[in-house]
Amino acid sequence: MLTIFRNAFSDIAAGLRMRRVWAALAAEDIGDQHRRTWLGPIWILLNYLAHVLTFVVIFQRGKGVEDFPTYVSVGMLVWMYISGVITSSARLFIKEESLITGTKLPITVYVMRLTMESLIKSGYMALGCLAIVLWSGTSIEIGWLWSLAAICLIVAITPAVIIIVAIAGTYLPDLQFVIGNVMRIGLFATPIFWAPGGSNARTALYKYNPFTYFLEIVRLPIMKGIEPVNSLAICAITGVTVWLIALFLLGKFRRQIIFTL
Amino acid sequence: MSRSKTGSVVQALNDVSFKLESGDRLGLVGTNGAGKTTLLKVLYGIYEPTHGEVDVVGRTDALFNINLGFRKEASGRRNIVLRGLINGWDMSQINERMEKIIEFSELGDFIDLPLKTYSQGMAARLAFSVATSLDPEILLMDEWIGAGDPEFQAKAKNRMEHLAERAGIIVLASHNHLLLQRTCNKILELESGKLKAFQEAEEWFDAHGIAGES
Repeated sequence: MLTIFRNAFSDIAAGLRMRRVWAALAAEDIGDQHRRTWLGPIWILLNYLAHVLTFVVIFQRGKGVEDFPTYVSVGMLVWMYISGVITSSARLFIKEESLITGTKLPITVYVMRLTMESLIKSGYMALGCLAIVLWSGTSIEIGWLWSLAAICLIVAITPAVIIIVAIAGTYLPDLQFVIGNVMRIGLFATPIFWAPGGSNARTALYKYNPFTYFLEIVRLPIMKGIEPVNSLAICAITGVTVWLIALFLLGKFRRQIIFTL
Repeated sequence: MSRSKTGSVVQALNDVSFKLESGDRLGLVGTNGAGKTTLLKVLYGIYEPTHGEVDVVGRTDALFNINLGFRKEASGRRNIVLRGLINGWDMSQINERMEKIIEFSELGDFIDLPLKTYSQGMAARLAFSVATSLDPEILLMDEWIGAGDPEFQAKAKNRMEHLAERAGIIVLASHNHLLLQRTCNKILELESGKLKAFQEAEEWFDAHGIAGES
């Protein structure tokens, strides 16, 4: 068991030393996706705004939610980040096959490449989110630091989630379709544009959906100035558990992944 | 070892043991599918053996797929940086080699244009120039590489010979017996993933009735 964790840490250490590789590749990925377009990566921002405006203007499900635009924009920012990371992870190693089978780059390089790419995309979306929050009249408070801490926590858990989903996706290729569907349902089953209360089903969905807590740790300090200590604790415990599983899987499978591609 | 879709396990190499020392030039021979590329990848560290061990002392570089990691939308210069980073070079090493790579590739002003604007020959020249601008102690090659038009090929041949001279150990997989005779002092023959022969090149060529180069 100790060897498994040692293997995982050595891969992570080697991967972090090669940060220039994954930072450069992530920037190229973003650039390539929008090459020859007029607006370039601004499309990421427009895509996010289109989602938020759709839910704010058309769905209007925010009865009882004070400052619905802020509620949706922050919730959508976190959701699009999480769902983007999980969806892309399922095919990560399959997509990187040529580099995995042709170089001896550590697995962590591919994991961090996706982490970085997701962060860059979220950076564009965050600009839109900030604009909506400020436009809707919410002022910047010191309590926002709790949201910042929450974002750091989510980012810290990201590589672990990628490792788990990517390894599982490599061994179980069907997983990408399961995840695709779960994420589509998750958009509606997660309190992005609806609030708890009303029916029992909705309250239960709010309470037992793990994504709720990751949304709320970012949203509550901005919306209500609340320090979401309980939700933060739940997310931190989830984070530690996810990392332990990820380290185990990375240590155990990092050398076998290549044989499955 | 690889698991097929039906669940059966394919053993790519089995019972292969050998030792090389500084100055050795090993030729890997065998039919397609004998395990030559797999052995090179094991030596490079891409595959980790499921049984046994590999002990490599020295900086190892490989010339397998020289186009690996190239991005057609990025400029030639950017591709040199990306390929250098993938090779494990730091930025100072990349900057140090940049002008020499550009000069050797003969790309001139094209170096700042996207790779997709290059002809096949130009792209091959760039790939060759980056891939061979290293200084390995142990050099692993899957076939002797060459690139570009006849004039560049002569230059590429010189570069490869110079690279081979500088490397402490070379392992070269090839079907070209003339090339192996000229380059290698030892031969390792694989058959269905197993070691069939590991001996002095001269002995192996004699045993197979292949005459020396005149």
